[in-house]
Amino acid sequence: MRTTRRRFVEGVLAATALSAVPRSGRAEVSRARTIRAVMQGDLRSLDPIWTTANITAYHGAMIYDTLFALDADMQTKPQMVAKFGVSDDKLTHTFELRDGLKFSDGAAVTAADVVASIRRWAARDGGGQHMMARVKDISKKDDKTFVVALKEPYGLVADLMAKTATPLLYIMRKKEAETDPNQQVTEFIGSGPFTYNRDETRMGSRYVYDRNPNYVSRSEPSSGMAGAKIVKVDRVIYENMPDSQTALQALKAAEIDFFEIPPLDLIDSLESDPDIKVEVLNKLGNSGIMRINHLYPPFNNVDARRALLYLINQEEFMKASFGNPKYYKKCPSNFACGTPMENDENTAWFKEAPNLDKAKELFKKSGYDGRPVVVLHATNIDFMNNSAQLVAQRLQAAGINAQLASSDWGGVITRRAVKAPPDQGGWNCFITWSGAASVGNPIAYVGHQANGEKGWFGWPTDDVHEKLRDKWAAAGSLDEQKKIARDMQKEDWDFVPHVWLGQFLSPVAYRKNLKGVLAIPEIIPFWNIEKA
Amino acid sequence: MLAYITRRLASTVLVMGIVAVFIFLLLHLSPGDPAAIIAGDNATTEQIDAIRRHLGLDDALPVQFYRWLGAVLQGDLGISIFSNEPVAKLIGQRIEPTLSLALTTLFVAVSLAVTFGVLAAWKVGTWIDRALMVVSVIGFSVPVFVVGYMLIYVFSINLRWLPVQGYTPIAQGLGPWIEHLILPSIALGLAYVALIARITRTAMLDVLAEDYIRTARAKGVATSSMLLKHALKNAGVPIITVIGIGIALLIGGVVITETVFNIPGVGRLVVDAISKRDYPIIQGVILIFSGVYVLVNLAVDMSYTLLDPRIRY
Repeated sequence: MRTTRRRFVEGVLAATALSAVPRSGRAEVSRARTIRAVMQGDLRSLDPIWTTANITAYHGAMIYDTLFALDADMQTKPQMVAKFGVSDDKLTHTFELRDGLKFSDGAAVTAADVVASIRRWAARDGGGQHMMARVKDISKKDDKTFVVALKEPYGLVADLMAKTATPLLYIMRKKEAETDPNQQVTEFIGSGPFTYNRDETRMGSRYVYDRNPNYVSRSEPSSGMAGAKIVKVDRVIYENMPDSQTALQALKAAEIDFFEIPPLDLIDSLESDPDIKVEVLNKLGNSGIMRINHLYPPFNNVDARRALLYLINQEEFMKASFGNPKYYKKCPSNFACGTPMENDENTAWFKEAPNLDKAKELFKKSGYDGRPVVVLHATNIDFMNNSAQLVAQRLQAAGINAQLASSDWGGVITRRAVKAPPDQGGWNCFITWSGAASVGNPIAYVGHQANGEKGWFGWPTDDVHEKLRDKWAAAGSLDEQKKIARDMQKEDWDFVPHVWLGQFLSPVAYRKNLKGVLAIPEIIPFWNIEKA
Repeated sequence: MLAYITRRLASTVLVMGIVAVFIFLLLHLSPGDPAAIIAGDNATTEQIDAIRRHLGLDDALPVQFYRWLGAVLQGDLGISIFSNEPVAKLIGQRIEPTLSLALTTLFVAVSLAVTFGVLAAWKVGTWIDRALMVVSVIGFSVPVFVVGYMLIYVFSINLRWLPVQGYTPIAQGLGPWIEHLILPSIALGLAYVALIARITRTAMLDVLAEDYIRTARAKGVATSSMLLKHALKNAGVPIITVIGIGIALLIGGVVITETVFNIPGVGRLVVDAISKRDYPIIQGVILIFSGVYVLVNLAVDMSYTLLDPRIRY
């Protein structure tokens, strides 16, 4: 048959029409059992020990499991562990794994995997290092049992294994766990509720997780990170959608099911959509912080640091970024509000702030000589952008020669690691935030370290605070910990290691056909969710 | 001709060499440290230093450049610092969406723009001419992302005719593939339509004033034949030139369009890589983009000989 132009065009149109017809029923069912989620950003690295990025901790929670976990009331509960006990002298902790735990490749989870995983995690984690300084040995007793032998009693062993501050203690195979902690693992096999589908994943675009058929769930009800992790869908896909407007429209059009950080200025349009639910999953929220450099003037002087307490009006900072008071609150506690360690010790300044005259007086007392104060300014993240500009304005109002050093967040986190003087590439202050659940823990939150140049950026040195942290870690009861936290805060607001800018909530938005979304501070879980 | 092509290809290698040096220095001398980004917010200075050492980022710049260039000359674009995947593989995964978007845009834009330009020149001074030129000024002035959001609002949210975002590979069906490319192609192509339409109109007006066109009209040649066979072919050189120059515009626009419409293409790959300072990806993509740009311009130069036999190389 001769191919005419008309026949060719007809053929193309027919092929187009045919391919536009919905494909097999199987594809439809698969879509109905797939959750498409736009998370906070791109999953840049897949090794949750190598990086402390939150999104990588989410990835970790999908494919790995933890020895212990925090429940919805922030209580430590066994997860992979079946039984555990402490010797009478409190120096030997013995843990037994649950029966039948398997990695997604089918191999059994053994105590050897656990010991190697703890060692790698502890090399990267501040809390882990704090614990390891008191550990004599961690060893495998038999395939299901491991032992942590201590040099001195230490009450936080299980709590650190359960904490949700990054990096979390995820259990990997011994093979991966023996990788140098400064090098990424290259295989991602865990014993968590999902498996990582490397073939379907497109790095930078979408990350695919399938239900792990080998997962052995606990029988207790799901609660926070603890209890049963029953997967009720076949697949979860993290879509990397850098444009929040597009993500918002995609949620409205049901092209995605879950949007972790919808823009707050457009939240009303989501709340008014009958098919979308807006909910705060992390009820404690996040704490905004102004971190200050203790190595150089003016903030190497305690009076200049105290001046900041009187200069900062948390309400102003929260309102600038979050607008609706429903999503923020002021908090004077050095241990985030809503956490067990929250207290009001030594917070008289908070009732007085803002007090510009007092701030000026304290800056004068500090001997401030008019030198430039470098405020690192990340322009591509709203909260940091707004807050850095406000900090600069407030400092200028107090007569400080504040200068913004503007760049993207990548530039800020590079410069904040520089210990040189501010006029030689260093800095005086920067803005960031951390999960309030972590901030409430004096050991788990890296910003509570005051051990000088070995610690987090800003490098405060306060021996009294460090001794109190150790005392807190060794405390035998919650009441004792609370009392020590008050003592610590009394010291902290005299010393002023940093300044809090307020506590804010980030609502998530999801299609109402998702049921069973769990509220967990700092992690977004996808187990327990049904897609109707 | 062969000697000319050989000379141009040799100069392409030189251009790409200069681009390689320039990009390497620009990246490594600008602020930003992938080790700090990898380590995350809770890392300490010591941990960042350890990662930097492990990645070889604390080696002297000439050492790093030599290492990278040596690999590139052997066809190895390196390994992504973050994902640990070969850069060539990552680009390979992203090339189809970008090529689909670029070629669809080119097809739509050139078809519309040449039609508009010819029409405006033919009906010069009438409301059709003025309307087309007003549209082209607007098309050139409104940023791609604004057009993108407007199209999404009208066609995806209100009318629900087309998807908001995403990309479906052509292997999964022609219909879904086209469906996902219509709005991005229009958004990206609008500025391109405006540019080419204006040049087409100007070039056509010049040609339509020539004596041989008047002669053709006097001989009773049909208007369509006169416009398309006699005038358009002779107005082709500036049009082809501006299409070639516009490839740079297209490459820049692809980056924004892929972000707005969430198309997992090479543009998105490089933007993500820039934000996290993934040097091997940035270097690899820019090297490829610059090679494509140089080769497109070579093709444009070659096409002149087809349009105007007087041009010889």
